[in-house]
Amino acid sequence: MSDIVFLAASFAFFFVAVLYVYGCQSLKGGGGNA
Amino acid sequence: MTANGWLQIALFFALLLLAAKPMGLYMARVYERKKTWLDPVLGPIERLLYRMTGVDASAEMRWTEYGAAMLIFSCATLLLTYAIERLQHAIPLWNPQHLAAVEPYLAWNTAASFTTNTNWQSYVPESTMSYLTQMVGLATHNFWSAAVGMALAIAFIRGISRRESKTLGNFWVDLTRGTLWVLVPICLVYALALVSQGAIQNFKPYDTATLLEPQTVTAPGADGKPVTTTVTTQTIAQGPTASQEAIKMLGTNGGSFFNANSSHPFENPTPLTNLLEMLSIFLIPAGLCVTLGKMVGSPGHGWAVFAAMSVLWFAGVATCYWAESQPNPLLHGVNQRVAMSGAAQSSGGNMEGKEVRFGVANSALFATVTTDASCGAVNSMHDSFMPLGGMVPLANIMMGEIIFGGVGSGMYGMLILVIITVFIAGLMVGRTPEYLGKKVQAYEVQMSMLYVLIFPLVILGFAAVSVLIPAGLSSLSNHGPHGFTQILYAYTSSAGNNGSAFAGLNANTHWYNSTLGITMLTGRFLMIVPMLAVAGSLATKKIAPESLGTFPVNSTLFTVLLVGVIVIVGALTFFPALSLGPILEHLLLRSGISFA
Repeated sequence: MSDIVFLAASFAFFFVAVLYVYGCQSLKGGGGNA
Repeated sequence: MTANGWLQIALFFALLLLAAKPMGLYMARVYERKKTWLDPVLGPIERLLYRMTGVDASAEMRWTEYGAAMLIFSCATLLLTYAIERLQHAIPLWNPQHLAAVEPYLAWNTAASFTTNTNWQSYVPESTMSYLTQMVGLATHNFWSAAVGMALAIAFIRGISRRESKTLGNFWVDLTRGTLWVLVPICLVYALALVSQGAIQNFKPYDTATLLEPQTVTAPGADGKPVTTTVTTQTIAQGPTASQEAIKMLGTNGGSFFNANSSHPFENPTPLTNLLEMLSIFLIPAGLCVTLGKMVGSPGHGWAVFAAMSVLWFAGVATCYWAESQPNPLLHGVNQRVAMSGAAQSSGGNMEGKEVRFGVANSALFATVTTDASCGAVNSMHDSFMPLGGMVPLANIMMGEIIFGGVGSGMYGMLILVIITVFIAGLMVGRTPEYLGKKVQAYEVQMSMLYVLIFPLVILGFAAVSVLIPAGLSSLSNHGPHGFTQILYAYTSSAGNNGSAFAGLNANTHWYNSTLGITMLTGRFLMIVPMLAVAGSLATKKIAPESLGTFPVNSTLFTVLLVGVIVIVGALTFFPALSLGPILEHLLLRSGISFA
């Protein structure tokens, strides 16, 4: 059971991290110039 | 402190200075895919690897693709290591001690630890990991995680040097070339050098030695009552140590083959290996300063960054050496200073937790180097340092592992702080900041601040929760400020991907294994993403010609400003926490108060 939890948690973390990549990219459009 | 001690510290720095330039120029050639003397041997292997994996070496990646490839690779290797740890009992290969499967929480923590280049170890390696797990599960990560860090640093440098480009290179090519051209060749020679000095390399079952004097040991039995036994033999662990030791230091990994880490004579047998091990921690990070200067076309900028790192390194080692040269005031009764100064040339000082072969100077230098970089190997126990001596490793990590830093991670972490420095300098003179001709605008500053803020958030958040709940406090060996420092150090070391420990905390619990694992993953990957975003954004910009208003980033003024920004952003973020830990402990110790 623990194995499934840790496998799922690992996948979830990296999935969120990939989403975070594209989230950071999407912020680029909204940023103004300093 | 002694002249001998200072001389050894000066020798270390002189050798580092000599090695940095050739190493940096070589790495620049490797990553710019220029000819090197290893091409005839490694070129065919590289092409074969690309054919086998279907990698198009000429394809370029945007920062998002580069980041996604890195995350997918890291996820796959994390799961591979987890599987090996959980199945090691079922694989008959290279498990002569018939060690059992690693428990799930510990296996996950260790997989996250080695994937992130942290190498935090909540376990005793020689009684937990089979030779197969040590080599295939862990040592391979030492190469991969180091090569990933170097690839990311090179991607950032390309972001600075390229003009109006949408891409940062190819992650798979950078990963392969860093491993084949840099890490593997050096480790081959390095491991043989360690063997020549006495480090072991074998696959034998553990030896058993008969003690000259039997020892009587009293320990709690199964029913909790004390049981006294007489011990007549000692198990002496064996294994393929030298091969793991080489990449452990060169890749700033720090995860040891034996629990005693680099204080174990099989890992670090002589003063020469001690010097080599310290040098190899800084070799690639120092070389990357030269690589930066070469690739961006401003060697002076690379040396200015090197100078900032050197100033902070020296401040750390001088403070640590001074603190550890003091005797513990609570041991005046046994007159430790006299006891430790039996020989006229002996330094005295705090020898608790130190290997007598290395003494105070080399322990302080090793502790500073291993925490300036994100290595985490130790040749002395940081938990036993004097409060201010122990604060140095902690503060080094808190500054973001950018004082030379981890392989690659130190360079890109430092470059984020360079961006912030240039931004602040721009604010001071009231013009749009430029970094090597590229305008630093809102997006780069937002992403840089995201990078900077994640680090204290994860450290202080988990440390605060841990001091409030029984699961966090139950495995502490000390109370009061020292116990707080043990918890703070664990999360700082994990978020900084350092891996060294204030060993008084038993972290092999469900709470620490899971939260430290999350901290390591967050401290690595959630900081890499905004860093790559900055690199990707910089790559798209034009390079403006220098003018009178351009802030020169190859000057002494730049170095001074950069050091100031690092100290303010890094150290002062954590000053309240440090004042509750080592600073308070120092003051109480001076008043004669300690905490058991």
